[in-house]
Amino acid sequence: MNALSVKDLHVKINESHILHGVTFEVPTNKVTALLGRNGVGKSTTLRTIMGFYEGSGSVELNGNQILGKQTHKIVQAGVAFVPEDREVFASLTVKENLSLAARGKNNDAAYKAIYDLFPELDTRAAQQAGSLSGGQQQMVAIARALLNKNEILLVDEPTKGLAPKLVTEVADVLAEVAKTTTMLLVEQNLALVKRVAQHVIVMDQGRVVYQGGPENLHNDAWVHQMLGVSGGHK
Amino acid sequence: MDTFILIGITGIGLGALYFLVASGLSLIYGLMGVLNFAHGSFLTVGAFVGYWLATKLGPETSMTDFIFAMIVGGLAAGAFALLMEQLLITRLYERHIDQALVTVGVSLVVGAVLAGWFGNDLRMFPTPLWFLTAINVGGAMIPADRVVYIATAVLLLIGNWILLKYTRIGLVIRAGVENRNMVNALGINVRRAFSTVFFLGGFAAGVGGVLVSVYSNGVSPLIAGSYLIYGFIVVVIGGMGSVPGSFLAAMMIGVIRQFANYYVTGLGDFVVVILLAGVLLIRPQGLLGKVRA
Amino acid sequence: MLRWKYSRPLLGLLLLVLAIAPLFTNNPLGKPGLQQTMAVAFVWGALALTYDLLFGFTGLLSFGHALYFATGVYVSCILINHDVVSWWLAALIAIAVSAILAFLVGSASLRTTGITFAMVTLAFGEAGHVIVNRNFFNLTGGENGIALNADNVPQIWIGVFNTKNIYWLALAALVFTYAVIWWVTESSAGKVFSALRDNEQRVQVLGLNTQHFKLLAFVISAALAAMLGFVMLIAAGSAAPRFAESGVTIALLLMVVIGGAVTRWGAVLGGIFYSFASTRMQDLTQQESFKSIPKWIGGPIAEPALLLGLIFILIVMFSPGGLSGAYYRLRLKALTNKSS
Repeated sequence: MNALSVKDLHVKINESHILHGVTFEVPTNKVTALLGRNGVGKSTTLRTIMGFYEGSGSVELNGNQILGKQTHKIVQAGVAFVPEDREVFASLTVKENLSLAARGKNNDAAYKAIYDLFPELDTRAAQQAGSLSGGQQQMVAIARALLNKNEILLVDEPTKGLAPKLVTEVADVLAEVAKTTTMLLVEQNLALVKRVAQHVIVMDQGRVVYQGGPENLHNDAWVHQMLGVSGGHK
Repeated sequence: MDTFILIGITGIGLGALYFLVASGLSLIYGLMGVLNFAHGSFLTVGAFVGYWLATKLGPETSMTDFIFAMIVGGLAAGAFALLMEQLLITRLYERHIDQALVTVGVSLVVGAVLAGWFGNDLRMFPTPLWFLTAINVGGAMIPADRVVYIATAVLLLIGNWILLKYTRIGLVIRAGVENRNMVNALGINVRRAFSTVFFLGGFAAGVGGVLVSVYSNGVSPLIAGSYLIYGFIVVVIGGMGSVPGSFLAAMMIGVIRQFANYYVTGLGDFVVVILLAGVLLIRPQGLLGKVRA
Repeated sequence: MLRWKYSRPLLGLLLLVLAIAPLFTNNPLGKPGLQQTMAVAFVWGALALTYDLLFGFTGLLSFGHALYFATGVYVSCILINHDVVSWWLAALIAIAVSAILAFLVGSASLRTTGITFAMVTLAFGEAGHVIVNRNFFNLTGGENGIALNADNVPQIWIGVFNTKNIYWLALAALVFTYAVIWWVTESSAGKVFSALRDNEQRVQVLGLNTQHFKLLAFVISAALAAMLGFVMLIAAGSAAPRFAESGVTIALLLMVVIGGAVTRWGAVLGGIFYSFASTRMQDLTQQESFKSIPKWIGGPIAEPALLLGLIFILIVMFSPGGLSGAYYRLRLKALTNKSS
């Protein structure tokens, strides 16, 4: 069974029909990249899976229907979300941001794993999250998604707006995380995608236009046609 | 000098009352975006329940009797707030204007019911005799009841601080005031925090209602109105969603009002409104306000 | 066509009947009692419409509208009583004062939006209430208000037999207010108001200064409210602090929501119905049959706020468009059923 199975998803937001029957599978324990030009509906798809928007169709998490459920219940079922724009709580400390996300009782092992990946979060535990740099906030956003046992990680443009050095750092972290977690990754940075993705979905105008392996990512002509960018784009 | 102290402390005492009303309003608006016009009803419900209990506890009201009546009044108001939230507010989720309107309706209905049952006349709230004494502070004779208001307000402020900083629900509330959706996205049912905030806001208002009745020399459905308006002013000046902001603003407004009224009777209300206009022009989000997401 | 094709002719006919009826003594509107009640109801209907311009059309939830109404009442009364100018000039001055006041208050308040704006307008409204209550400068008469000096006012409005003249004045004021608001909302400025209510950002993106438009709506509704204040002064014969209470604005809010915030006639209907019902309910509670109801039920029922508050809650929860909204919904259903 696939970790996530989306069938014929239609979503309307304020009278605009954004998703037109989106269908795809996210295989377990692999990283699936969700690609497409700006505005095709990638973020909307993630947010609908999270329960922020209403839609018709079917979204199954390991065989269980989650479409129509409340967001917090979906998350409790094992869906973790790293949103575009990070959305850390600026007035809370780093530690508070993390402890808010931790759901289980015995989190020591999880915290240790986090601090191994992001040692800075330990040193900056008492710092207000609002005063962190963009890259550090991204660390917090990813870390808090890793604190619980998850079935799938939904990650929305994690390198957006980050300086090139930080992009590499985030890419390293995601590659590490990808070894043990199912991930659905929306990302414009093709280098990162080429590095971690084992499965690729391409969307255009609210529909899925390609689903398959990552081998085509190395074909510049294909990339240019599908995504309108050149292959080596950073 | 002692006049100065007298006016200052009575101003702080008044500010304490405003704070009790405003703290609940501020949290409810900050977390849920609900402009709660029924807050005045919470005051009145707390006042009447407290009054009923205090009269039942016998002709002589001891300090313990009074505190007990005050707390029960607060709990009753909190329960009423929770009831209103569950029955009406939750059904209008995210429809903020409609939520505000519904609270207007509730305030009218509650006011009408209480006026119908008890009439609009003032009934003396049974208080411990100690309230009538005066305490000497630096040469000024301060009526003892002011001390009770200030002590209660300070206790509430401390309790609120402990709740927000050291409990899990407090963490959820603080995060929720900033970004409701993201809290949900972390698997936390933010609505449970809403209910808690409504209950606590109602409790604070109920306690405030009891004390306001003592200050105003009587329990009546009519008293809540002007305190509600002052509550709103305090919340706007202090900053929506910030309880410490409300405390600061409430103290300022209480003191300013007393001083203004001392020099020209009736000037106090007017000055406060000018102050409100001034704050809005210079710093619309209030003293310690967080800009709502 | 959502509007029933006979609705306009029928309304015109109704207006004609209302205008002519007081000329004949054999119908209910021939009696001074009902004439007075209806005159007051007309003023409230028109006032509700001015509030609708703010809230229903432009989306500005103001809790201080009573301020401008009361300004109209008090300024006219003070000028007339002190024989400063003739009565019609006094009314015009009152309107001007109210408009200027609205401009100043609006400029400050409109820096905030939504709920904060509501609170701020509430505070300013209360300031007005305090001023008239505390008898500042010994002009406003304090808690008892000021009685209108009947000598300085045209005699056609004085005396019980002339109640029908007051009735006609109020009816004319209602029609005038309706015409002005109709003209404003149908104009291009009016279209901007509606757009503001729905999505302010979109209007800003068009390069329009939303602040100016909001202020315009604010001032227009205040000026009209002041005019109605003058009419109320004639009808009531005095200026009283109750015209400045926040309760007035809350009543207007109820009228507009119950009647239907987005339609003009809904607001007017809500206002007339509310005023009429309040007055009639007061009379009802005086009757013997009422006195036999047990006090714990009868007490609250005697308060108009109970019934109106309950209706208000029900409408907000289940029919937010108010009565006119429900009417249009049913009409839409009827039309679509007919065509299918």
